[in-house]
Amino acid sequence: MRRRSALELGLWFLTIAGAGCGGEKRGGRGTRDSPWIIGMSQCNLGEPWREQMNRDIEAAAAKHDVLKMVFKDAQNDSLKQRAQVEELVAQGIALLLISPKETAPLTKPVAEAFDKGIPVIVLDREVEGDKFTAFIGGDNEKIGHAAGEWIAKALGGKGKVVELKGLMTSTPAQQRHKGFRDAIAGQSGIEIVFEADMQWLEPNARKEMESALAQQSKIDLVYAHNDPAAHGAYLAAKQAQRNEGMKFVGIDALPHEGVAYVKDGVLDATVLYPTGGAEAIELALRILKGEKVDKKVTLGTRIFTKESVERGGDPIP
Amino acid sequence: MKDHLLTWLGAQRSILRVLLPLVIVLVIGSAFHSNGAFFAWETHRAVLREVSVHGILACGMTLVVVAGGIDLAVGSVLALGAVSIALLTMQRGWPAPLAVGAVLAMGAACGATSGTLVAFFRAPAFVASLAMLVFARGLAKLCADGKKVTTHFVGPDGLDRTVPLPALFEGLDDRVIGGQLSVVTLVFVACAGVTWLLLSRMRIGRYLYATGGNLEAARLSGVPVRTAVILAFVFSGVFSAIAGICQAAQETHGDPETGMGYELDAIAMVVLGGASLTGGRGNMGGTLVGVLTVGYLQKVLSLNAFSLEARLMLTGAILVAAVLLQSRAMRGTEG
Repeated sequence: MRRRSALELGLWFLTIAGAGCGGEKRGGRGTRDSPWIIGMSQCNLGEPWREQMNRDIEAAAAKHDVLKMVFKDAQNDSLKQRAQVEELVAQGIALLLISPKETAPLTKPVAEAFDKGIPVIVLDREVEGDKFTAFIGGDNEKIGHAAGEWIAKALGGKGKVVELKGLMTSTPAQQRHKGFRDAIAGQSGIEIVFEADMQWLEPNARKEMESALAQQSKIDLVYAHNDPAAHGAYLAAKQAQRNEGMKFVGIDALPHEGVAYVKDGVLDATVLYPTGGAEAIELALRILKGEKVDKKVTLGTRIFTKESVERGGDPIP
Repeated sequence: MKDHLLTWLGAQRSILRVLLPLVIVLVIGSAFHSNGAFFAWETHRAVLREVSVHGILACGMTLVVVAGGIDLAVGSVLALGAVSIALLTMQRGWPAPLAVGAVLAMGAACGATSGTLVAFFRAPAFVASLAMLVFARGLAKLCADGKKVTTHFVGPDGLDRTVPLPALFEGLDDRVIGGQLSVVTLVFVACAGVTWLLLSRMRIGRYLYATGGNLEAARLSGVPVRTAVILAFVFSGVFSAIAGICQAAQETHGDPETGMGYELDAIAMVVLGGASLTGGRGNMGGTLVGVLTVGYLQKVLSLNAFSLEARLMLTGAILVAAVLLQSRAMRGTEG
């Protein structure tokens, strides 16, 4: 909170300073006295993963005194995000980072910023067309696949599995589902005995798991599309005193959530869905220094298990 | 004599009509029992645990609705309660009774604020509690610094710390009577008991019905309508805080995003229980049936692994059917 109010103040100062001395180059000169100003438009800080993305960006930017960050939170509203992008452009930023809420409504404001000569890095969700400088994102299908492969190995190719799916109208859930199913497709011994849409919510996951426990006398593993759901499933199994020998696998691997659950022995594995925050700042610096960069960067992932959690997980090739 | 009998039958019929949706849901559950899972006691124990948090909210909502108001803030105050209890017991190390007291006081303060806006500043309950919905959610996020409040945290010295789960959390998510009943269910039963006492056995209950039935008439006949309205909201706030503590215990952390949309579930439960959103009508027994109807409906759909689309549509259809039954019951008692 303190950070955000400081930013507000900073913004006011910028506006006043901008009005006072029109000669200043837009968005700073990339020196300590006149740092490059990078605007970051986040679609919804209510989600812990997005909060983490902002933290990663802030931490990476703090290492460079030629950069100055301005954060905006659109509170899960596409039109608000559109307005905030326009505000950032009007305030004269050197580069725009945006993690858009939706593709279509944000394509136009992003293209307008790009046309004004402001480099744009799009994070996590894409925009249409090619009017942006670079896109950085994780690969949910690959992550689902990695989870599936680990599960197949952990079960020795045989077992009864519960799948707790995220909101299935959202792309990440569809891809985490598809990747997982593709990975276990060759394993005839693995049977999905129960699947339900828990809409990414832990209380829902716990309810669904209770139904699965009531319906199935034997469950070997729970695969959940996010860590809170895997945690909810664990709590349900623990209360039914059936968690012994049951494995729990989640996705996201946030430091204070999934990774902490693995350390506590609640989850057996979690697969990282990287925020790309640090990578975005490195890329932004290269763009601002005039280097050519790739248009699309796909982030790698890591898997955290009991064995690997202390060393920061193992990379997935 | 005959008239008397008819009125009595009419009154019974309205109770039957409140019960009918629950019976239908139970019959469907027995028909689609999913390998007998529906007949296992574990399933019913699970339903009773799952409805508890919503049920506690519905208790407070019943009081407010009877008084002619509506409290949209219950879900947000729940989140504020969940975050506060986690913060106080885990990270500040407060003893449980003190922390619970503080959280309940905070819930009461939220309720008192909405209630005062309604009673003294003539704000419509919808607007006053909508403002509290937004404000309490913001405060919950502020207290939690945007993340879940867990047993892992950064201490004042800047070092990472891990504390054991407070006994309060363990205790609330435990089961009693030989593992046959969840503790949160008992909390719900206690809240329902308090609500029943208030509405049916105490003077304040009569004041609430009078205020909700006809505000002006109640005021002119000397009912302290302002006190009644504020008290209804205060109880709703306190119950929301209790629900928040139960939610945190069941999630083992305080999540500032939890309880979103729970106010609508609570309102649905109260309406299913025969309360009128125009005030003056409703009781704890009906709300209890409403709570169980929604809980069992969710369980039956979940046991049979219905898709989310089908669940939402079926829940909507059952609500409409129940409300239609209610309005017929109304005509029955009046005619």
